[in-house]
Amino acid sequence: MSRSLLLLMTSSALLLVFGLWVPIKAVVAQELLEMAWAESQARQTESRPWPWADTWPVAKLSMPELGDSMIVLAGVHGESLAFGPGQVMGASGQQGAVVIAGHRDTHFRPLKYLEPGNELRLQNREGRWQGYRVRETRIVDSRSEFIDTHKLSAGTLLLITCYPFDSMDAGGPLRYVVEAHIEDDRSQGSLGEIDTVAGL
Amino acid sequence: MMFSALSSQHSADRSLRVRRFMEGVSLWMAMLLVLFVQPLYAEASTGSEDSAGALHFVDGKGQWQKPALVLGSDFDVRVSGLIADSKLVRTFRNTSDQWREGVFVFPLPEKASVYGLTMKVGRRTIVGEVQPREEARKTYEKARDSGRHAATVEQQRPNLFTTRVANIPPGAAVSVELKYQQLVRYQNGVFELSVPTTLTPRYMPGAPLAVTPQQWQGGWAVPTAEVPDADAISPFTVDVADVAADSHRASVQFTIDAGLPLARVFSPSHEVATQQDGQVVTVLPQVGDIVMNRDFVLRWQPLAGQEPGAAVFHQQWEGEDFLLAMVLPGRAGKAHLSRELTFVIDTSGSMAGESIRQAREALQQGLETLAPGDRFNVIQFNSQPHALFMQPEMATANNLARARQYVSRLKADGGTEMAPALTLALQSQGRSTAELPGDESPEESTRVRQVVFMTDGAVGNESALFSQIRRQLGDHRLFTVAIGSAPNMHFMREASRWGRGSYTSVQDPADIRGPLARLFSAMEAPMLTDIEVSWPGQAVPTMADSFPRRPGDLFQGEPLLQVVRGVPPAGELRVSGRLPGGGKWQQSLDLQQAASGTGLNRYWAREKIDSLLDEARVEGQEPDKAKITKLAVEHSLMSPYTSFVAVDRTPARTSESVLVKEDLPTLLPAGSQPGMMRYPQTATFAPLLIALGLLGLLLCAAIALLQRRVYP
Repeated sequence: MSRSLLLLMTSSALLLVFGLWVPIKAVVAQELLEMAWAESQARQTESRPWPWADTWPVAKLSMPELGDSMIVLAGVHGESLAFGPGQVMGASGQQGAVVIAGHRDTHFRPLKYLEPGNELRLQNREGRWQGYRVRETRIVDSRSEFIDTHKLSAGTLLLITCYPFDSMDAGGPLRYVVEAHIEDDRSQGSLGEIDTVAGL
Repeated sequence: MMFSALSSQHSADRSLRVRRFMEGVSLWMAMLLVLFVQPLYAEASTGSEDSAGALHFVDGKGQWQKPALVLGSDFDVRVSGLIADSKLVRTFRNTSDQWREGVFVFPLPEKASVYGLTMKVGRRTIVGEVQPREEARKTYEKARDSGRHAATVEQQRPNLFTTRVANIPPGAAVSVELKYQQLVRYQNGVFELSVPTTLTPRYMPGAPLAVTPQQWQGGWAVPTAEVPDADAISPFTVDVADVAADSHRASVQFTIDAGLPLARVFSPSHEVATQQDGQVVTVLPQVGDIVMNRDFVLRWQPLAGQEPGAAVFHQQWEGEDFLLAMVLPGRAGKAHLSRELTFVIDTSGSMAGESIRQAREALQQGLETLAPGDRFNVIQFNSQPHALFMQPEMATANNLARARQYVSRLKADGGTEMAPALTLALQSQGRSTAELPGDESPEESTRVRQVVFMTDGAVGNESALFSQIRRQLGDHRLFTVAIGSAPNMHFMREASRWGRGSYTSVQDPADIRGPLARLFSAMEAPMLTDIEVSWPGQAVPTMADSFPRRPGDLFQGEPLLQVVRGVPPAGELRVSGRLPGGGKWQQSLDLQQAASGTGLNRYWAREKIDSLLDEARVEGQEPDKAKITKLAVEHSLMSPYTSFVAVDRTPARTSESVLVKEDLPTLLPAGSQPGMMRYPQTATFAPLLIALGLLGLLLCAAIALLQRRVYP
């Protein structure tokens, strides 16, 4: 009796450890990625966070309203999503839409608190921050809807994660999409500056 | 003793403490579990509300729902001579317990004339009628809202239609029978008929228009500046596994009475079983019902030496004579032409999968046909065009090797921006001759300029592209090669017609060589130009009633087809043309030998409507809507401006029960990959593991506590 109890206890504990391993890995990896990100910014090269990694940091995503920031990795292949959100589409330094996907259980869990009008910031390797404003959040069905990549305008940032947020099912068809667009404030600001100069 | 009492006291004390501790731990764990699992219940309870943005294929809990409507199709095609008459029955079976309205976007053959709609509800049959498009729409909506059975079919593109069926009772079925006819294609001694069953998702160029969602439409694409009806021609495409097991299946039957002995009947797309009864051949697919994810193509070949060289059919309809004539010019012989060949290959996302492999192979084969002295270039396009050479280069071994390597590395990805690719292909030669010094110009000027365009035609702005081809063509010839399981044949046919070339389709992935070899040999052979047709009784009004009004050039193996109204079957039809090198070719046909045909009036009317639409395009004006509507209503035909509608007299649905609209998805063409990016999988098993782990530990603690209570 006590033996089977012990067995049950061990296996449950093991399950718990495996379950907790995912978020722990996500947190620890982000620390390592921070270092790799600093290094790739300093050297302007793709620097791998650990020698056997199949991915490298490409951007830093910050959500000022939620006080959260994370390093974005290249691609969503293989294990990369376990360490950080992955950039599905878009290259740094190039104009065009950026699509980033992340695990709803770890890095992209805060996405559910994002609301239209919230600010998002994306830092590229050169260290330049680009501001985005959340335009809308929506729920899509990944089985009948696709990301129409040709239709995304140049200044679009899509954040994708699984939906519903508290579901146990890892293979559900729904996705939560946050659509943000580049802020125009900057250009208006520069216009304002020019005005002052002209006034003088 | 004292010691032992003390120790037992101590152990009891300790066990009490342990028990307290255990109780505390399990309480905390229970708390954690509740905290963890609680949102799930919250989710489940709010999930029943309709969440914005979710499709109706997904229920409140986020689970995929198979469409409630099960779609069955039944094709009954009867071929008589050159005209194939089809009866297509679409059955919408409602498996839900709510009243449904079904909307289904489907393709028909590119030159189909739809001439009849009948709706069957239970034992009753309601015959539909042709009405101007807006009127038909209103009639249908009124019937739908008043709870009566109603069905309508609308033309979105010459080969794309939408059917709507209102008030399908719960657990019952409504079927819609569509009658259409099409011309059998005859080329190189082989007759061909294709029955499209699905469509390749089309690319919609242009910036999205900000419009409020309309009730009448529903698709994945939003209207754009260049394709204002994008949402009406973009049904959701799903995998076969996503629909019910008996949905999206079609039973197909062909009855062929070719009027001449046949050597064989075969299908490059499906395995077929044939049964011959005299001259009539019945063809059925071997598997029974086919999955509607690829075009059904059937070919038949007359006995060797019995291939028809000419044919005439006659029909009297409402006191008027209609004649359909086919003349096949004989072999004109081969002469070597020095050519300038531009291969344009579509590498857009819709070509991903089997299609791009086919296209690459076709292109490699095209490169093989180049002779020394020819010039060539390869242009690929998706969102942007990209050419292999700046200008067409000589077909030297070195250049060919470069081209082969270039082709083998082509990948399908991105949009389908055809317009810039066409501009590049049709203008590149003009630029190159301008850049070249004059020494080569005599040879350059006699060069035959040909463009081979390999694509699935999955675009929504066909009309604009045809206009562009007409404007930029110059002395080029444009040949289209249809790739994939469900290419847009309307685009292939019209693009090649405006491009003064011919079209071909690759249907059997295993046999790309056959059709392409015929196309390339036709391209190498000279063609018949300046074709003139004169019917007996040279009156001007008669001439105005024969179509196509200006026959295009004929390539080897292609027949000339003419349809005329108001000419009795007497006298002789004279056809003349100019052979390459200036020789004159002439042939006459005795009209008295005309066999009786059916549906010629509809074919004539369709040709006339097409010619009116062509004229409008040439002049860059709006088509004569009133004239087309009148013609279509007179011959009871579907057109861009007329739709069919059938309405039952008595209401079936009471106003209390609601009607749910359902847009039926179409199947993804076989072998193709979803053109657009799928959403990545972004969840882990962590929450499940954590929950299970907590649950297990909780159980352990509970058992341990129980044991302690039982054996203290």
